[in-house]
Amino acid sequence: MLQQRVSRRKILAGALGATATLALPGAAAPAAPAVKKGTSLRLWILKTYVEPTNKAVEASAQRWAQKHGATVTVEYFTFEDMQTKYVAAIENRSTPDVGQLETGAPARFAGMGQLLDLTSFARQIEGEVGKPPANVAPVTVIGDKVYAIPWYIMAPFWYVWRDVFEKNKVKLPTTFEEARQAAQALNRPKDNFYGLGQSWNRTADGYGVMQSLMYSYGVGWAGKDGKHRSIKTPAMQQVMRWATDIYKEGLQPADTLTWTGSGNNENFIARNIAQTSNGPSITFALENALAKATDAKDRKLKEEALANHLALPHPAGPDGRRMWAIAMSFGIFKSSKDPEAAMSLVAHLLSPEETLNVMKDSSGQFAPVLDKARAASKDYFSKNESYRNFGRAAEWFVGTGWPGPVTAAAAEVQASNVLTDAPAKVIVDKWSVDQAIDWEEKKIKEIYDTLRAG
Amino acid sequence: MHRDGSLGVAVARPRAAGRRPALGRDTGTALLFLSPLFVLVVGLILYPCFRAVWLSLTDKLVGYPERFVGLRNYEYLVHDDAFHQVIRNSLVFTVGSVALKVVTGLAMALVLDAVVKGRTFFRGLFLLPWITSTVIIALTWRWMFDAFPGRGFFNSVLLDLGLMDRPIAFMATPAGAMAAVVVANWWRGFPFFGVSLLAGMHSIPRELYEAASVDGAVAWRRFWHITLPGLKHVLIVTTLLSFILTINDFNIIYVMTRGGPGSATQVFATYSYQVAFGQLRWGRGVTISIFLAPLLVVGIALITRALLRERT
Amino acid sequence: MRARTVLAAVGLIGFLLVILVPFWWIASMSFKTYEQLQFATSIYVPRQFTWENYVGLWTETRFPLWLRNSLTTALVVTLVTTVIASLGGYAVARLRFPGRESVASLILILYLIPPALLFIPLYRVLAELGATNSLSALFLSYPTFTVPFCTWLLIGFFKALPEELEEAALIDGATRIRAFVRVLLPLAAPGLVASAVFAFTLSWNEFLYALVFIQDERSLTVPVGLNLLIYGDVFHWGQLMAASVITTIPVVALYAFIHRWMVEGLAAGAVKG
Repeated sequence: MLQQRVSRRKILAGALGATATLALPGAAAPAAPAVKKGTSLRLWILKTYVEPTNKAVEASAQRWAQKHGATVTVEYFTFEDMQTKYVAAIENRSTPDVGQLETGAPARFAGMGQLLDLTSFARQIEGEVGKPPANVAPVTVIGDKVYAIPWYIMAPFWYVWRDVFEKNKVKLPTTFEEARQAAQALNRPKDNFYGLGQSWNRTADGYGVMQSLMYSYGVGWAGKDGKHRSIKTPAMQQVMRWATDIYKEGLQPADTLTWTGSGNNENFIARNIAQTSNGPSITFALENALAKATDAKDRKLKEEALANHLALPHPAGPDGRRMWAIAMSFGIFKSSKDPEAAMSLVAHLLSPEETLNVMKDSSGQFAPVLDKARAASKDYFSKNESYRNFGRAAEWFVGTGWPGPVTAAAAEVQASNVLTDAPAKVIVDKWSVDQAIDWEEKKIKEIYDTLRAG
Repeated sequence: MHRDGSLGVAVARPRAAGRRPALGRDTGTALLFLSPLFVLVVGLILYPCFRAVWLSLTDKLVGYPERFVGLRNYEYLVHDDAFHQVIRNSLVFTVGSVALKVVTGLAMALVLDAVVKGRTFFRGLFLLPWITSTVIIALTWRWMFDAFPGRGFFNSVLLDLGLMDRPIAFMATPAGAMAAVVVANWWRGFPFFGVSLLAGMHSIPRELYEAASVDGAVAWRRFWHITLPGLKHVLIVTTLLSFILTINDFNIIYVMTRGGPGSATQVFATYSYQVAFGQLRWGRGVTISIFLAPLLVVGIALITRALLRERT
Repeated sequence: MRARTVLAAVGLIGFLLVILVPFWWIASMSFKTYEQLQFATSIYVPRQFTWENYVGLWTETRFPLWLRNSLTTALVVTLVTTVIASLGGYAVARLRFPGRESVASLILILYLIPPALLFIPLYRVLAELGATNSLSALFLSYPTFTVPFCTWLLIGFFKALPEELEEAALIDGATRIRAFVRVLLPLAAPGLVASAVFAFTLSWNEFLYALVFIQDERSLTVPVGLNLLIYGDVFHWGQLMAASVITTIPVVALYAFIHRWMVEGLAAGAVKG
């Protein structure tokens, strides 16, 4: 088992220090635990699609380092190697001091006993940074204890070419069913133009949208208590039918199922598809292209593209509008040699001021979660309609394993690819919808049965 | 006399007078010379192998201590339909690409044999695929088959020639994806066959061909009755080797398709990786690869027998 | 004879096309702009010939670092391998000791133990040694496949060399080691070069171990780095192509010089066993 290199005394001291400051009247400044000069911390950050954001986070961390005469070594992981990197580090006992954790990670790692209990720390900095909204909190609160503090949400939106919709007099979709009907109306395979581009691949574009679809139809593989729940319901039948009909009806390019993470971006930007679900990186790409425009003609084209594209809120289902998103939070690993310094770093990164610094360079993909920063970001997100939608990400967010809390088992269901493999079996292997649902049910149950809790 | 000056046949060598070899006389020196190899092998190959077997008998999940569970992993896999598909895919992939490599390799050897001027140059040139990084080869062929005309070579050509009006998504279907990875593996591997077979051809005594010509045998008959039998040894060894290496291949499939679409191209190595690092189940992940052990043992036994037979 | 020449010519052209077209396709794409790739313009020959991908690759990514890591690893591994393999190969080819034949077979068997089996337990062993997340993990793990292959190769090579010179040296009172170093090695130079180049190539090429054992972006090798150049949503196709070109050139250059020896080495292994 992991050796706890942090003595309990140290944690208590930190907590005591925190409570002491809270006791002081008017203690607005967070009790930044003392940081010894020369401390060195390792920070793991997600390398997002928007390069300026990555640089901004690193810069923010360096500002903390300079302020305290410490050093921060920033290491990146990508969506691709997120699992492998943390897995490797856990097995190697080389986990970083502070790590960014995606939606299911706090549950998974806390279950393994890897993360420091941050309950008192969270309370301590609440004054400065605020709280997360109730629907985001389950990501980081596991069994009444806080193991991570959420920072931002990278949410998917429903991208459409509004000029295509307008020209064909089709209403902009607000539900999945409307989206499918719009796709049918706009589909023109002869001109290589398709109504939709939704791939059930093993990326967030795949399993994320599948979860949004399921949850919006009221289907969840876990109950409110986090225990396994059957998905063999009529609603799931509807879900599976939606997921597979868009393929059967030829509403998408032929190779959609094999797209990589950027496949839908490329096809959308190339105007091969009318709709797709994606994070704000599409907007970033279009803004970037405009900035790099070579001449007046090119510039005009790029401006049009930017104006014509629109990011709508993710579609709703009969049971509501629920959107799975990547919620990034900060956790501190028990292996850290200097947890107090780590907490200081986290407090710094989470502060509204630093959060806004990073957010400004994110082209809308960084939606702050904690309320102080959220409030301060309203201006940024009022730029245009797409941005206004970006800013509302936290409203519609639900975590993995809805309606239950995010648990290690739920996280494993997502990681096992069963959610996207099921529709693939219908589309590729020509299974029936019932067969696919049965298979999916079996696989999910098996994960819950064999995964040990903690 | 063969190209490298040896006779290719065991000949009794005259011993220098006064030196009688006693069995094991060099053991001391041999131990010395072999010690680095020994350390490497035991420490980094055999020991991990034993640990692999041990791991397969546990339910090791990343971040948790392992518990002994006996043959549970094996039982699970035997009943796992995903694993059955992995076995099917691996066989299709391996048999398909090795068969193609053998045939193409033979053709390449024949062509090179017929080339007199610049043979060395062409032989070197044809080995380019074999020396290129497999990751690059996988990416290259992924792009060759891409459905996006800007990247997809075949689609660009077919569209430009007017033979189609819409790009084909070659890799979007199970059959297409499997064909694509087989092509990539074949392209990478046939030069090895070609060069080996060429060398094999050149170690067939010329006299046999001359005698056959005198007897009036046509090119085809000469090929069938002299060349092929003469190549038997090289063919067997190379084919077995290629079979073993291909069935364990990770790079090409991982980079080209990640095992998709669905699980259409998932093979042993990629499935093992996915289970171990995606699902964090190390016990099960290792077991997947261990299933290949019997096949490996058989293959290796065959190769060693073939090599030993040739030596006597 | 006529038919044979025609067939040979056709075959030659056929093989040339099959082998060279994919290389040309990548190289051509590496010189296209992002827009050209995105919007499929000027497909076969880049009309707007640009170096931007190469520049971008070199300045905006960690590619130079990865290249250096790959090179360092390949050189270290080649050195280690050549030493171990030539010592071991000599022992099996020339020395008389009980179990000699078994050792020879064992070496081949070892080469055939798949990395796909070893990567998980090897990972744990390396973690316990503290070698993971750095190039030392590769220095230790790569010889597990380069050494068996090169030893097997060198056994074949050494066996094909005449023993008389060594025996003469031994009669003159030299030790085995001297005979090995002074007499055999110079003779076996082509074999050694072939073995070294194989070790280099196998090491340069390797992907799975590098992917699994190293996470720190600064310690990656080229194959894993290329995999990483895919920033999720935004593919820098042109840069990937440029990286492919750059990575392939040194190996090709190396082979252009020594392919004769390398091929003989391959042949010796395959034919002689």
